[in-house]
Amino acid sequence: MSYKGIYSKLVTLFSLLLTILFVYTAVSKLNHLDTFHLRLERMPYISSYASLISLGVPFLELVIAGLLWFSKYRTIALYASFILLGLFTTYIIIVLKYSDSIPCSCGGVISALGWKDHILLNITFMVLALLGILWSKKQYKIQATQKSVQ
Amino acid sequence: MKKHLLKIILPAFAIVMAAGLAFATEESNLPYVGYIATESGYAEIQTDCPNVGQNQCYEGLDPVFNDIGLTDPKLRN
Repeated sequence: MSYKGIYSKLVTLFSLLLTILFVYTAVSKLNHLDTFHLRLERMPYISSYASLISLGVPFLELVIAGLLWFSKYRTIALYASFILLGLFTTYIIIVLKYSDSIPCSCGGVISALGWKDHILLNITFMVLALLGILWSKKQYKIQATQKSVQ
Repeated sequence: MKKHLLKIILPAFAIVMAAGLAFATEESNLPYVGYIATESGYAEIQTDCPNVGQNQCYEGLDPVFNDIGLTDPKLRN
């Protein structure tokens, strides 16, 4: 198997995993929008933006999950995944480090995880998104080289 | 055919599976009932504390309990 084939398949696999994560969490949130809104209102630092976040985050997650399957937008979607997961992870770390009130975990079956396991899960998906970005670029470079040779 | 599989069937499968999983695990996303101390005794609240772990759960600054007698603390990891 050529390197191009391996990179392409791995990027597809990472996109698949990110799609499952984003669709799962978005549907879980939208399914109980009131509860999600209530939880956000209890979170430190972001409670005043609860209404915006409760609708914006699931919408963004579904858009990213969709864009991951259009080759034209895949790299942008991978960047967006990395940034969204990064923002959420940073927020959790800040809350755990500096806030007196540590909110409980939430979001589907992921709520069974503690906050530290949640951070580990997020970092794992961030690494997948980052590898996806790097390998998508590599793939484009290989394709560009092949075109210039032809 | 292979291209068709990757471009349409695979994402459709992932989306349907994830949405199905979200509905299947719906109950785990619902808040639990807990009790906090108030001036007049106790108040029932909705909490995310799963009552698993070793650390006391708090609602703001108030410790959360499993019972109205406020003797059995709700725990988290």
